[in-house]
Amino acid sequence: MMLMNLPKAFSLLGDYSEPYAWFPESASSFSEINDSLYYWITITCMVFFVPIVIALFYFAVKYNKPKGTKAESNVAHNTVLEVTWSIVPSFFLVGMFIFGAKAFLEMRDVPDGANEINVQAFKWGWTIDYGSGVFHPELHILKDEPVKLSMRSTDVIHSLYIPAFRAKKDIVPGRYNYMWFKPTVASEKVSDEELAAAIKQTKDLGESWNFDEHQFTPDGYRFYDLYCAEYCGTNHSEMQTVVVVHETLEDLNAWIKQYSKRDASVPPAEYGEKLYKNRGCAGCHSIDGTKRVGPSFAELYGRPEEMITGDKINADENYIRESILYPKAQVVAGYQPVMPSYKGQLSDDDIYSLIEYMKTLAKDGGAAK
Amino acid sequence: MSSGSLPKGSVIRDPGYPTASENYLTNSKGALSWIFTLDHKRIGVMYLIGVTVSFAFAGLLALLIRLHLFLPEGMIFKGAEANNYYNQVFTLHGAVMVFLFIIPSIPAALGNFLVPVMLGAKDVAFPRLNLTSFYLWCIGAIFFIAALFSTGLDTGWTFYTPYSTTTDTSVIAATMGAFILGFSSIFTGLNFIVTINTMRPPGMTWFRMPLFLWATYSTSIIQVLATPVLGITLLLLIAERTMHIGIFDPEFNGDPVTYQHFFWFYSHPAVYIMILPAFGVISDLISVHSHKRIFGYRFIAYSSIAIALLGFLVWGHHMFTAGMSPLTTIIFSALTFTVSVPSAIKVFNWIATMYKGSISLTTPMCFAIAFIFLFTIGGLTGLHLGTLATDQHLHDTYFVVAHFHYVMVGGTLIAFLGGVFHWWPKLFGKMYSEWGGRLAAVIIFIGFNLTFLPQFVLGSRGMPRRYATYDPEFAFLHQMSTYGALTLGIGLVIALVVLLASLVRGKRAPANPWGGATLEWHCTSPPPFYNFERAPVVGDPYDFSNVEWDQENERYVSTEPERKLAPEESPKSVPAHADGGH
Ligand code: HEM
Ligand SMILES: [Cu+2]
Repeated sequence: MMLMNLPKAFSLLGDYSEPYAWFPESASSFSEINDSLYYWITITCMVFFVPIVIALFYFAVKYNKPKGTKAESNVAHNTVLEVTWSIVPSFFLVGMFIFGAKAFLEMRDVPDGANEINVQAFKWGWTIDYGSGVFHPELHILKDEPVKLSMRSTDVIHSLYIPAFRAKKDIVPGRYNYMWFKPTVASEKVSDEELAAAIKQTKDLGESWNFDEHQFTPDGYRFYDLYCAEYCGTNHSEMQTVVVVHETLEDLNAWIKQYSKRDASVPPAEYGEKLYKNRGCAGCHSIDGTKRVGPSFAELYGRPEEMITGDKINADENYIRESILYPKAQVVAGYQPVMPSYKGQLSDDDIYSLIEYMKTLAKDGGAAK
Repeated sequence: MSSGSLPKGSVIRDPGYPTASENYLTNSKGALSWIFTLDHKRIGVMYLIGVTVSFAFAGLLALLIRLHLFLPEGMIFKGAEANNYYNQVFTLHGAVMVFLFIIPSIPAALGNFLVPVMLGAKDVAFPRLNLTSFYLWCIGAIFFIAALFSTGLDTGWTFYTPYSTTTDTSVIAATMGAFILGFSSIFTGLNFIVTINTMRPPGMTWFRMPLFLWATYSTSIIQVLATPVLGITLLLLIAERTMHIGIFDPEFNGDPVTYQHFFWFYSHPAVYIMILPAFGVISDLISVHSHKRIFGYRFIAYSSIAIALLGFLVWGHHMFTAGMSPLTTIIFSALTFTVSVPSAIKVFNWIATMYKGSISLTTPMCFAIAFIFLFTIGGLTGLHLGTLATDQHLHDTYFVVAHFHYVMVGGTLIAFLGGVFHWWPKLFGKMYSEWGGRLAAVIIFIGFNLTFLPQFVLGSRGMPRRYATYDPEFAFLHQMSTYGALTLGIGLVIALVVLLASLVRGKRAPANPWGGATLEWHCTSPPPFYNFERAPVVGDPYDFSNVEWDQENERYVSTEPERKLAPEESPKSVPAHADGGH
């Protein structure tokens, strides 16, 4: 099985449908220049590497002599040769430097009129700010429109990396770092049946959405991977989200609207469940009782919790509210104070909805206090 | 003697075999005679054991990492703490490999043994300091182990802030360990600089030094100049963690990028601490086993120094995505490319040395050839990372992991193994099985490529490093890599068995089994306690013209012109100035 896959593994065709490609799909205005630079460097390397290796093995065999035979030549140096092989590679190096620096400057030079999006990175998730109170972990942008990401981190260094865009930038706490790119390929939407089937499957299994398995978002869009590339602790490898590129502004706006504040017709608990999934809670708090980075929400509401200070506090509305806004004020025994504050990011109604949702997870549906 | 090869009018010079009381290994007995020894050779051997144990330990951790990554969701570590275990294992793997193995491997283990012998000296300049540096190494190692057994360490070997100032693992124990190891490294470097400057015997000019000594010398310069910066950085890190003084942690108005500047200002030159000695070993190996003068001796010597100095100017290339100003970034990129020229030229020089040589494909030569192949790949892929645009994509992915393993493992580890096999007969006076040694070299070579070639593809496809779990589309390449690591492990075990078996069953080694012309081949194997009976005759280290193969005794011997004794009768007239008066 291994050998059968081998040729595919080294296929040079960067195609997303091809699981063994050399590059991920190429989906931003940087991809092309980056890939051609990469290939150009690789080919230049080959031009040097292949003769070196041929000479290496050829000499090793050809001049393999019985012990005690004297070498045929004992030339100690050859100035012409040495100067040539110092200077010729230097030209290639200068070329690489110049083209690399040029393309890099372009990546740092944000075009006028780029749409600005604020990104917040935290252990271990992402919050994208779509303005007017809409926050979501997925990055949704518009095809052929340059986007500038203004990024900040609430805790340690993270790094936002979208392989399909060939773009990466560290997010250093205490600074605003920025990056920009222009997506060039829109994400397809899967058929309604396919989406419905996947949603049903997820419901039946009672699991959270499996992006890897379905390869599309719960809203039915195909996506590009977005990774955290700077090591940031325990769940660094789970600090992933997705990028969806919309074909039209209407489509993008429609998507955003879905996540604008709670519609009066939606019950708070149902909306709270959405927030739980969208705002990064799910990264650290389970709803099935397993202990993760933070305490589980299962049967949390109304339970007496022991703090690291030794106090016991009843997990009532006030306690939960405080934990969301000032997470470091009261830390449950056995956990680290790693949760970021959601102050200014969740509205009163959002917090209310989350509490209502947690009540549904309590033993008796939150009836008792 | 192979018939007729002895030039007319010449005599054979061969030191023969040492007696038990001459042999440095047997001339005094008991554990204390080792623990308190001031003999650079014994200290070298103790280092050799120390770094080998560290390597084996960190190698087992590497296997754990690789086995875990066999499946996308992780195969070894399970449950709620799985990611934490993975993080601790890769951190410890990296930290032990870097601080306990690769930095001291060639300079401290081989260097300690070889520098005085190659120089024709009795010992290093400061034998007591030398022993101290070994015990500092031991104490540093204990701190690392203490970190492991308390709460582990999960920062990565780079200790980046603010993660390292906030995680609750044993950062302080580990940084103290690294701090102490820094002193060990500085003392070794200092010792070599003074030894090489002051203890060369008459006739040993700078340009008659074997290239291994040039490499050691330039390495020592880096050790002495760069390591203190690491020491200061680690102390600042500890101060930040305990007292929140606000240098690196933004919560107290510090800047994490400052830490990166400090750290890489040491650690980039440290990469040359790892690779320069390897260059030295390979230069000697290629020349001796090709029985041919090294090509471009002066260039290799100067370029070691050039690399040592340029190496101080390029640290910023570890931070191309950190958000430095574009101008700074571009300057660092330009400087980075300047270092590649001297490294490239060395490769050409080694190949030119083999041209029209008389090559013996011994185990050390097999390792030297593997080194050139692997190091060239490591060096060339550095160009993808030095180029600013492509680095934005490749930084912090498996491409980087592959690149530095090609340099550190394919380069330094392979050179270290080559060096150990080359000097083994000198170290312990025993010949190993050539067949076994070559088998190990071939398996290591294959296993290594199978482990790390796929990682270039992984990185190009966007697989970030330091991931405990990963997306399923990367699984196949990860699995290839894991099979490679197992193969590599088998190769390394074979190498170890071959060497250890030689101690028990190996033939006695002659003074000069390979036909080297440097001084260490002029004393017995193993060397006597004081290395040389009397100050050795220093010649050209790469002149093989009077090294002859003695078929009967399977050894190389040096020939020298038969010296005519002065005529017996005393001069008739006493010189005027000699009679002391009138
Ligand atoms: C024996 C074969 C080896 C294998 C299979 C191996 C494998 C690995 C793997 C899988 C990683 C983790 C990569 C990541 O997730 O970022 C790693 C990291 C590392 N390895 Fe190795 N390695 C080997 C030998 C070595 C040697 C000999 C050295 C140094 C002398 C070394 C130095 C490092 C360093 C510095 C890291 C980075 C650790 C960090 O990210 O903090 N490795 N290695
Ligand atoms: Cu992160």
